[in-house]
This record gives sequence, C-alpha cells and structure tokens, in this order.
Amino acid sequence: MVAVVSKYVRMIGYLARYTLARELAFRGNFLVKVSVELLWLGILIAFYKTVFARTSHIADWSEPQYFFFVGCFFALNGLIETLFLENCNEFAELVRTGDLDFLLLKPIDEQFLVSCRRIDWGSAPNLLMGAILMATALVQAGWVFDPVRVGAFFLTFTCGVAIAYSFMLLLTSVSVWMVRNQSLMEMWWLFSSLARYPREIFSGRWAEPLGQFFTFFIPILLVSNVPANVMVRALEPAMVGLTVVAAVVLLWVSRRFFLVALRSYRSASS
Amino acid sequence: MTPPEATTTTAPPLRNPADAELDAGPPRASGRRGVLGTIAKYAKIFRVSLIERMTYRGDFLFGTILRFLPIVTTILLWKAIYESSGQVELGGFHYREMIAYLLLTNISRMFSSMPGLAGGIAREVREGTLKRYLIQPLDLVGFLLSSRVAHKVAYITMSFLPYALLFYLCRGYFDAFPDALTLAAYAVSLVLSFMVGFFFEVSVGMVGFWFLEVTSLLYIVMTLNFFISGHMLPLDLLPEPWSTLLKILPFQYMAYFPAVVFLGKIRGWQLVLHLGLELLWAVGFMALARVLYRAGLKRYSAYGG
Repeated sequence: MVAVVSKYVRMIGYLARYTLARELAFRGNFLVKVSVELLWLGILIAFYKTVFARTSHIADWSEPQYFFFVGCFFALNGLIETLFLENCNEFAELVRTGDLDFLLLKPIDEQFLVSCRRIDWGSAPNLLMGAILMATALVQAGWVFDPVRVGAFFLTFTCGVAIAYSFMLLLTSVSVWMVRNQSLMEMWWLFSSLARYPREIFSGRWAEPLGQFFTFFIPILLVSNVPANVMVRALEPAMVGLTVVAAVVLLWVSRRFFLVALRSYRSASS
Repeated sequence: MTPPEATTTTAPPLRNPADAELDAGPPRASGRRGVLGTIAKYAKIFRVSLIERMTYRGDFLFGTILRFLPIVTTILLWKAIYESSGQVELGGFHYREMIAYLLLTNISRMFSSMPGLAGGIAREVREGTLKRYLIQPLDLVGFLLSSRVAHKVAYITMSFLPYALLFYLCRGYFDAFPDALTLAAYAVSLVLSFMVGFFFEVSVGMVGFWFLEVTSLLYIVMTLNFFISGHMLPLDLLPEPWSTLLKILPFQYMAYFPAVVFLGKIRGWQLVLHLGLELLWAVGFMALARVLYRAGLKRYSAYGG
C-alpha cells in the first residue's frame, strides 16, 4: 500500500515538473493566462464593491466576510482548475477519437491518468490570488487568530476540493454515453455557479428546499460555504462533520461511476 | 475561473466551402449568375451550417438544463442584496426590474456573443487556409456572416422552448408586455447588437494578420466585455464617471441597451438617437473589418498546404 502511494506521489511530481517545463516554454502565454485571471478577480471585486456601496450586508454576510468567501471560492476553484479541469475537459475528446485506448493500456490507474495527467500551471496563481483576498478580508474584519478555526478551515477546504473533484468526475464520465460538443469547462462553470454564493441566499418558499437539496442530496453548496463559514462566521461541528462524510462518500461514488462508464466505453479506433 | 466565452457552444472549425457544395447535392447554382446566384450560394452555406448545428441534440439539452442554474443563483443573489439593503430601488431599478433586466441580458448575449469567430479567422490566417477565399468566388466575411446567422438561428430555435419556459416562470418579474412600438425597437436593437457583436469580433480576428496569436487579446476583451457590456449588472449602478463612460462605448449595445429598451427605460428621441448610434457602431465596425481585411491581405503570404 505504502509503495503504491509513494509510486503515485512520485508520478505526480514527475508530471508536475514535465508540465511546468512545457508551460515555461511559452512564457508569454502563461503571463496572459494569469493576467486574464487577475482581470477577472478585479471584475468580481468591482462588482461586489459596487453592490456593497449600497448595502452593508448580503444575506447576513458583512463586506469583509463576503470577500473572504469570494477569495475562498476563487482559491478552491483555482486549485480544481490547476489539477483536474483541463484533464477532464480532454476526456470527451479521448472517447470520441478512441485515443482513450492508449491510456487504458498503461499499467496505471485509469482514473489517475484521466484526471491527473497534466497540471495547468496557468491557473495555479489563482490559489495565491484567492489567498491574498482572504488575508485582506481577515485583516479588514479584525479577525483574531484561532488555531481550531484554522484547522477546521484547512480540513473543510480539502474536503471541498474533494467534493468538487467528485462532481467533475461524474460530469466527465457522462461523456462516455453522450457525444459531447460542449466543453466540460462550460458545464463546470454552469454547475459550479451553485457554489459561488453563500448558502444563505437560498431563502424563500421555493429556494429553501432547493438549498437543502444542494446541501444534503447533491452537496455542492458545502464546497466553499463551510470553509468560509468556519473561518469568519460560526464554527458548526455538525457542518464540518457533514462535509467530511460527503467528501468520502462522493469520492467513492464518483469512482464507482467512472469505472462503470469505462465499462461502457467502446473503442472508436480501427 | 473566467466565464466561458459563450452563451452557445463553440462554433465548429470553419469548413471548406467546397464541402458545402458537395453536401448540398449537385451544384445547381453554378450556372446562375448575378444576385440570384449569390443568394443561392450563401443560402447553401446557411443550410449546411444549420445541419451541422443540429448534430448534438442530446448534449445541447443537457447543457440547457445546466444553463438554468446560474439564472437561479443570480435571482437569489439579487433578492438577498435588495432584502439586505432595505432599499426599494438601486440605481433606478426596482428588485423585479433588476431580475427582468438580468434575464433580458441573456437574450441580448444570445444575439451578440460570437464564440469562436475571431479565433477561427486568426486560425485561417495562421494555417494559410484563408487562400481558398482568394481563389474561389466567395467572400470571407460574407461566408462567415451567413454561417453565423445559421448558427444563431439554430441556437435561438433550440433555445426558444427553454427560454419561453423560463420567461413564463419568471413572468412575475415583468410589469407588463411592452407596446408594439417598444417591441419593434427591441427587435431592431437585437438585430443591431448581433451586427455590432459580429463585426467587432471579425475586426478582432483580422488583427491575426499582424499578430499570429490573437487568443490572448481575445480572452482579455471577452472577460472585460462581460462587465462593461452590462451583463453582470446594469451600468446605472456604477459610480460616476464609469457609468457615463461605459454608456459611450459600443459594448453596452451587446447586453445593456436592448434590455433597457425592452423595459421601456429609454423612450422617444433618446431611443431613436441610441438606435442610430448602435447602427453607426455596427457600420463603423463593418467598415473597420473591411479595411483591416484589405490591409491584411496585402501582408498575407499564405503559409501552409
């Protein structure tokens, strides 16, 4: 078991080095990618600054708390993009062309190969940008250091990444059955819009059940809400527990689903 | 993550117009001359593009269902903003007006967004495939325009039912159906927003004659456009001088302007003036695209096979 884990860790190290070398061969492109992401973060900040010029709260989140949430989602989504999005995005093409055969023939776990083949270094600075936004928001909120909160934050942040990854893998697996013309990038953008705002906005007659549904049944709302909540608002052990359980269950479910999808794969090559 | 450059799926790579002739049966139009022949030629391109767009129906449906999610979260976010602010009006918009506005910007974007257009032109230049427009009696911009119209017709036709359902469900956010004159002005503003979007993006694509890689420029323009076209929030909400400045730029016609026309916020001579300005921008970008194309062809050296 230890040998297997260390083999995969080593492999990630090699892949990371290889993709970094490739990325740095096109430094201009890398810089543009980063500046576009920076521009997008600037737009988000401008948007919320405009809104907060007219209100002091949004759904019980004060301005610094809300900006911490935005930073948290930005960092988390940045990490997901860096590690998985581009790989999963290519999966549909591998299925369509039949090139998936070459991956299946390798003596390496298929899920690992499909979802961790490349590291998209162009999105890696998003993690840093999100962290800077979070740190700035903490300073503005006059946050007092609390090791329990920090620990809970890192735990739930990791679980949030695991939950988001599981959903991405589920969306990716569907392309075995469905000939896909739309990119997973767009699908992911649409689906992750649920995690982009605080859970508290789901209030009202029809929205409340929807919020519950996306918290307990398809728990995408846990992804960025719980880490931001434990850090700057209420530390609820029940929600932390739920996030950990959801992450474990979803990792298992998405893996099973991915393997079932692979069994339905019929090579398209000659 | 920046928003994907789309309210529609990515356009397929441009096909060889000669294939269009093959797909469309025997070239009946070849003997015809003059205006009729030209119309038949572009009608054929339109037909082929339409067939191409209808290939991935199941995927399109799945995507459409997902497309509802951001609309739901946007409605909930603004509801929370209005409730938290304790104000009835923000930037001249009531809560219901705001939601109606944001729904309408989706319709504006449906007409004005051009996924894959500029990138496609730059690719033709880079790979040298552009020369087929130079040796065949076919105009690049004309070809792109007719295939893009087909793309839009297919997309709008297929989106009609889901959007009709969406607007039916959200009918409570609209005060009343606009009168015939406003509706006519709205239709004109949408068609013009398509023209502004199309020729603006073609102009960006033509930059590919001077810089082989325009993707980066495109990303920056598209990302900015998301905000400055009023897609995220009405431009009236922004502090001065930004609000006035962004209303001078042509980007507002791609999302903000058609939406406020529908809501009846611009009336009378103001409306006529702005429609005139929108037309001017469309014609301006059309001329710019032509000029850049002419100048670009002088530099073009047809690399590739």
